[in-house]
Amino acid sequence: MDASARPILVALGSEARALRLIQAACRLARERNAPWIAAHVETTAGAATEDEEQVQVWMQEAQRLGAETRRVRAPTLAQGLADLTRGTRAQVLLLGRSRGRWPWARLGHATADELQRRGLDASLVVLDDPPEAAWAGAPASPFGATAGAFLVLAACTGLAWLLPREGNLSLVLPIYLLGVAFIAHRWGQGLGVLASALGTLLYNFLLETPRFSQGGHWPNLLFFLAMLLAAQLVMGLLRRLRLQAREVQRREFHTASLYLLGRALARSQSPEEIALSATEHIGRTFKAGAWVLFPEGEAWRSLPGSLADHDLPPPSELGPSLDLGARQGDPLEPLPLGGAFYLSLTGTDRCEGVLRILPAGAGGLPPRTWELLKAFAAQIALALERLRWLEEARQAQVERETERLRNTLLGAIGHDLRTPLAAIHGAAGTLLLPDGLDEPARRDLLTMIQDESERLAHLLGNLLDLTRLESGVLQAQKEWQPLEEVVGSALGRLERREGPVPVHVDLPPDLPLVPLDAALMEQVLVNLLANARRHAPGREVALRAWSEPGRLCLEVADRGPGIPEALRERVFEKFFRLPGSGEGGVGLGLAICRAIVQAHGGGIQAAERPGGGTAIRIDLPLPGDPPALPEGTP
Amino acid sequence: MTAPANPLRILVVEDEPALRRFLVPTLAGQGYQVLTAATAAEGLAQARSHNPDLVLLDLGLPDQDGMEVLRQLRAWSRRPIVILSARNQERDKVRALDQGADDYLAKPFGAAELLARLRAALRRAVQTEAGDSVVAGGGLRVDLARRDVSLDGRPVHLTALEYRLLEALVRRHGKVATHAQLLVEVWGPGGAGNTHYLRIYMAMLRRKLEVDPARPRHFITEPGVGYRLDLDGPG
Repeated sequence: MDASARPILVALGSEARALRLIQAACRLARERNAPWIAAHVETTAGAATEDEEQVQVWMQEAQRLGAETRRVRAPTLAQGLADLTRGTRAQVLLLGRSRGRWPWARLGHATADELQRRGLDASLVVLDDPPEAAWAGAPASPFGATAGAFLVLAACTGLAWLLPREGNLSLVLPIYLLGVAFIAHRWGQGLGVLASALGTLLYNFLLETPRFSQGGHWPNLLFFLAMLLAAQLVMGLLRRLRLQAREVQRREFHTASLYLLGRALARSQSPEEIALSATEHIGRTFKAGAWVLFPEGEAWRSLPGSLADHDLPPPSELGPSLDLGARQGDPLEPLPLGGAFYLSLTGTDRCEGVLRILPAGAGGLPPRTWELLKAFAAQIALALERLRWLEEARQAQVERETERLRNTLLGAIGHDLRTPLAAIHGAAGTLLLPDGLDEPARRDLLTMIQDESERLAHLLGNLLDLTRLESGVLQAQKEWQPLEEVVGSALGRLERREGPVPVHVDLPPDLPLVPLDAALMEQVLVNLLANARRHAPGREVALRAWSEPGRLCLEVADRGPGIPEALRERVFEKFFRLPGSGEGGVGLGLAICRAIVQAHGGGIQAAERPGGGTAIRIDLPLPGDPPALPEGTP
Repeated sequence: MTAPANPLRILVVEDEPALRRFLVPTLAGQGYQVLTAATAAEGLAQARSHNPDLVLLDLGLPDQDGMEVLRQLRAWSRRPIVILSARNQERDKVRALDQGADDYLAKPFGAAELLARLRAALRRAVQTEAGDSVVAGGGLRVDLARRDVSLDGRPVHLTALEYRLLEALVRRHGKVATHAQLLVEVWGPGGAGNTHYLRIYMAMLRRKLEVDPARPRHFITEPGVGYRLDLDGPG
């Protein structure tokens, strides 16, 4: 098999560094133009400590970046990964390694070694984590720490007391060294120094021979003190390193959470979706409830879902302290109120809303999480702001379009209404003149009045139809019927209106019934046939229909000059007239056709007719079978 | 114009002065005696006191729905009633026809069309009274008494249902028959609502009795309303 087609395999756990693994694997896969697989191995040992929900999040993230995902169960991590590597014929296996407190992570080192021993046919890439102390305790209170330090010293002294007295420095010193090192590591350097001094004094007064002597052996005592101080110094440095590592890990977690929130927000299309993403991510990261509040007059609109909490102060009260109106102090500082916290969602130019956080526990949120929460709030605010700008831009676009349409409408109506009106008005005036016109001239003027008023009625009728179709007032009353009938009534109407029309009708006798509104579809056919007649006078027009699976197709084709390809979509727009199409028509006919066909759930397109001319094709949906026929049908 | 000794009386119930101004001289010019009413109440009073031969009724009246006027007139008169309606009000047209109106005219309409419709309605009224059982025109001949149908002199065989449909159309010949009226007449009260039955049988009738079923001359579709049998047109 070609090596480039063999996949990249990445092993994911639940810890935050998984994001770096995902990104590395994704990059590697792109570089090598290979597929990649994100895998999670459930081991009996790791199951209890893995955050299942977080694993799910990482797997989804990998999938979004194009990975195939696998989940397997295996007795050990190494076993599971080895099987996967062989099964997928992976060219590279990526895994993380740290001496972190996650059992998964601790296994990493051993796993990598074991995988190496198994001699896999894949290169092993191990991403090292920043160093992290193996044991991290909770911060203790000063009193507890001091008491702890005394207890440790007392224990050391007690142990030393049991040892033989003679020449005991070499035996006692390690005991105190261990004690002081432990104190410095556990509770910091302050207590470490104190413990060193105290330990020296205890040694001097209780253990040094002769006991309780005032003088003692100064060199011995100094050596003792120096050793203890050195021990606590080394341990203090270690402690600082450990804290730094923890900070790095915390930052990595923050970056990962922010990244995921940013991804979710970027995909959100509405305030509702933004609020939902915010709630979900805040809930997962901080174990707290979250709502996004928008001021609406004297009340709040809260998303997602309404708030049962009626203690919420009205916007006018909460507003000033959160920069809804004037900026006072730092608006990004959370405002505690009635067990919940409020953060202003301030984007680049104004406050978009308020974030309400309700911690699950009674004690509120740990102080260190505020920084991340504020970053979350800033991201949510930016997402809301982006949405508002988009909406504003869309609104402006709609307004421009409306303005353009209004201008076209005014122009068209101004011209198309005024021209026939002027002719009618003028002709009537002439007819009323006292000087008699001869009979043919009178008849001519009267015929003109009739024709022009018909044109006016036609135009107004079209405008009305289109308005009612577009506003949804006019709906298609669909009934199953043969197309032949509609074609017949359309031809009849057109002939009554304009005289004989040379149309070649080709309707197969086995054409199925189709659900349509006869009156509306007749209008479509009349418009199309009248157009064809106008653009190709005297040339034959072809009307044919056929059925395809799930739809009925209808085509009206003429031998006119045709429509340039670039304008084939635009001819269905309101008031659009083909350049040089001359007299007659105001550009509403095809717009009405499209509105009617769309009201039937169908489509309409203009195409070139083979051999020259235009073919307008209509597709009407055929939903299932027509209703059954009555008994006794031949 | 020379008025006949006993002119036909036409009542125009129309609230628009402009339309009355057009209708009164047009009708009077044809020798009809014209009565006018601008409201429903006035129209009903005029109809009672003068018993006109035909009523031209606008559906949009200021004081009452024209449909109500139609219902009250039909309670005692069988004289033809022609409805004037704005365009695109198929539902109103169907309701008016189902309530017993004889025909409708969509505004705007020309004088020629108006007069043709009125003449047809008046002629039908006379024919109905005479109980004519044979209708013929454009090559098609139907003898209801002998149940005989022929096209261009050749007898045409129709199934029972096809004949019943043709019969229903012939009885209303020249006049619009709504879907509901035809369904009830051919299939009985249970047939109402199954408009597609009607369309299929109409297509069969056309295949047997029309030269080009896609361009019917006799069996005219009134989209959204019903059908009209026309034997006067070119065959």
